[in-house]
Amino acid sequence: MGDCVNPVWPCAMAGAVSCLSGIEDLAVVIHGSSGCYYYPATLMPGELFGTFLQEPEVIFGGGERLAEVLSSIPPRYRKVAVVTTCVTAVTGEDPAESGYGGDLLVVDSPGFCGGMEEGYRIAMEALAPAVDPETPGVNLDGIHPADPFSRGNQREAERLLALAGVSPATVFSTTRYELLRKAAPVSLSVNPDLAGGAGRRIGSLLGLRDVGASFQALAKACPGSDPDPVLREVERAEDRIIHAADKYLRRYDPPSVALFGMSAPAMYAAEMLATYLDCGIAAIGSRNDPGPSRFPTAKMTSLEEIRVVLDREQPDLILGSSYERMVHPQSAFVGITLPLRGKIQLRARPLAGIEGALDLMEQVLNACMDRERRRG
Amino acid sequence: MTLKPLPSGSRLEGCTLTGALSVTTQVRDAVTVIHGPAGCAQHNLSLFHATCLENDTVSLPRLASTDLDETGVIFGGEGALEEAIRDAAALDPPVVFVLSTCVVETIGDDTGAVCGLGWDVPVVHIPTAGFLGGAFRDGFHRALQAIAGCAGEPERAPEGVVLVGDKNLEYEVDAHADEVGRLLGLLGTTVDLRLVREMDWEDLSLLGGSRLNLLRDPDLAPVGEWLHSRYHTPYLPSYPVGLAGTLLFLARAGRILGVDPDRAVRAEGEAQQELLSGFSDLAGARVRWRGGDTAGGAASFVQELAAALDLCLDPEGIPVPLPDPLPVGTAGIRRLLHRWRRAIHG
Repeated sequence: MGDCVNPVWPCAMAGAVSCLSGIEDLAVVIHGSSGCYYYPATLMPGELFGTFLQEPEVIFGGGERLAEVLSSIPPRYRKVAVVTTCVTAVTGEDPAESGYGGDLLVVDSPGFCGGMEEGYRIAMEALAPAVDPETPGVNLDGIHPADPFSRGNQREAERLLALAGVSPATVFSTTRYELLRKAAPVSLSVNPDLAGGAGRRIGSLLGLRDVGASFQALAKACPGSDPDPVLREVERAEDRIIHAADKYLRRYDPPSVALFGMSAPAMYAAEMLATYLDCGIAAIGSRNDPGPSRFPTAKMTSLEEIRVVLDREQPDLILGSSYERMVHPQSAFVGITLPLRGKIQLRARPLAGIEGALDLMEQVLNACMDRERRRG
Repeated sequence: MTLKPLPSGSRLEGCTLTGALSVTTQVRDAVTVIHGPAGCAQHNLSLFHATCLENDTVSLPRLASTDLDETGVIFGGEGALEEAIRDAAALDPPVVFVLSTCVVETIGDDTGAVCGLGWDVPVVHIPTAGFLGGAFRDGFHRALQAIAGCAGEPERAPEGVVLVGDKNLEYEVDAHADEVGRLLGLLGTTVDLRLVREMDWEDLSLLGGSRLNLLRDPDLAPVGEWLHSRYHTPYLPSYPVGLAGTLLFLARAGRILGVDPDRAVRAEGEAQQELLSGFSDLAGARVRWRGGDTAGGAASFVQELAAALDLCLDPEGIPVPLPDPLPVGTAGIRRLLHRWRRAIHG
C-alpha cells in the first residue's frame, strides 16, 4: 500500500486551476464542494471562485447554483473558466448549459483523471493558445502560480531575454487572456515537464548549460538577438560556482543527495550537484512520470515510499518539499518543489536561469555547511 | 469565495471529510483510509502538514487513499477499498478508520459493507461523503461519536475530567487545553483524556471513567448528551470564556466534582484583578473592533473586557482585533490584551 499512503502530489483539478489562475482577466470557478475549493485557494495567490455545492445541488442539478455564482463575477474579468471536480464530472452536468450569458470556458479536469501536470495540460488545451507570426519576441512557458519559484523564474527569464535584446511575448500561464492567441513563434521553458503553450519550444532555462544552449538556439530563431551577454554571464556564474564548490570540497566530502520534485527540475538539480560538487545521487523521486535519467530515478507520489527511500539511503542532503524535510529532518535540506511550508519566503526566488542556478548552489552549500557545523 | 452573500453558512464551512480527519488523525498510530481519488487525501495531508509545522509536531498522520481513478469511478471502487483496508491492517495499527468521499457516494459504493467484512483490527466506518454528508462540523461530530462509540465499559471508578472535541486545526489548541488544565488544577483535579487529541487508542477506556466531560463548545451538546446517556457522566457545555465566565466555570465544575470551589474562585478572581491592573495603561483608549464577528458570545466577551479595562468604544477609534476563536480562561485574556496593547500603543 506504500504507493498511496500520504499522497503528496496535487490532483488534476488543482493543476488545471493553477494553469488558469495566472491569467489575470480570466475568472476561475471551481465547480464542486468547498473541500475541493479550499486546497487550491491555499496554493494560489489570486482570487478564485467556487460553487461550494451541497447535497441537493448534486441530486437535483447544480446548474442553478453555477448560474448564481457566474452572475456574481465582477465585470473586470473578460472571460470565465469553470473547472469541474470529481462529482460534477461524474454527474455529467454541462456547465455550458447553465444559462450564463457570457463567454464560458469549460475545463473538464476532475481529480481522478491524474496528477497536477495532467490537469495543467488539460487546462492548456482548453485555453487553445495560438501563434501569431507577427508577434515579436519569445514566449515563456512552465510558469504557474502554484509553483513557489514562479515569480522568480519569470523575472529571471525576462532579465535574460533583455540581456539578449529580446522582448518577452506571452507568458504561459501568467498573462492576459487575449495574449494567449498572440503568442510568438518560439518559446523557452522554465519547466519542460509542464505542457507548453503555443510556439516552438527551442530550449529550457533549467541549468547553466541549458541556458547557454537555449540562447544560442534563440540567436538562430530570432535574428537580431545577441546571446553573447548571456553566454558571458553563464561563464562568470560557472566560475563562481566552481570556486565556491572547490572551497567546500577542500574541507568536506561531497554530500550524498536524494532529490524529489517534478522530473525536469529534479534532474537539473541532480546534474548541477553531480557536476560541480561531485555528489553521489542516491535517488530521484519524481512526482510525475520521469524522463530518461543517468541517475536512479522512479516516480514517487506517496510519502511512505519517500520515507522508505530516505530511511534506506540516509542522504546527507535532500532537495525536495517540506514533506521530505519533515520525515527526514537529520539531512540538510533545500526546497525545490511545493509545498514549502513552515518557512517564510517573501522574495521572488528563481530556480531557473543563471540566478536560479546560483541560488540553488548557494542554498545547497550553506545547508551542507550548516549541517556539518551542527555535527561538530 | 464568491462575492454574493450565500444562503447557508455550512456551504463555506469546509469538507465533511476534513472535519472527520481532524479527529481521526489524532489517534496515535491509526491509519485513516480515504475511499476516493488520491487528490482528496493529498488536499487534506497538505492541510495537516501545515498544521503540524505550526504546532511543532514532527510526524504526519497516516492517510491511505484507495486512489480511485477513472476506471474505478466507472466500475466501482469496493475492491480497491477492501485491498486498502487489508494493507492498512497489515501496518498493525490499533484501529483503521474508513472515510468516504463525494465521488464514491455518488457512484454508490457500499463503504459500510466493506468495513463490516470482519477484519483482524477494529475498522471504524465514518460516513463523510464530502458535501454529500454535510459540512466540516458534521464530519467532526460524526468522527467524535464514532470513536466514543468504540469505548467499552469503564475499567475503574471515575477520577478525572475528559476534554471533548478539541479543535485540532486551531493554532491555539494546546494553549486552550493547558489553561483548562490549570483551572481544573485549582480544583484539585486533572485531565484524564482528550477526546481526541494525541490519544492512544487504548486510553479510550478512560472515557467511561470520567467525573466530568468538558465540551469544547456548545455545538457538541449532542455528544455530551450521548455520553451522559451512556455513562451518566455530567458535562459542561464549553471551555471557560470571559472574566466572569471563567469564575462561573470554576464554580460549576467544582460543584459537579464535589469540590468546594470557593477558594479556587477567589484565587482566580484575584489573579484576574492583577491581570487587569497590569493593563491599566489602556484605560480611556478610544477603540473600535476590527475583523471577527461580534455576533453571539463575542459581543458579550468584548463588552465585558472593554468595561473592565475602561475602554471607550468609538467608531473613529483605534482598530483592535476581535478574537477568533474566543480566548479560553484568564490566560487567553492575558494574551489577547497584549495584542490589544500593541494595537493601541503600537
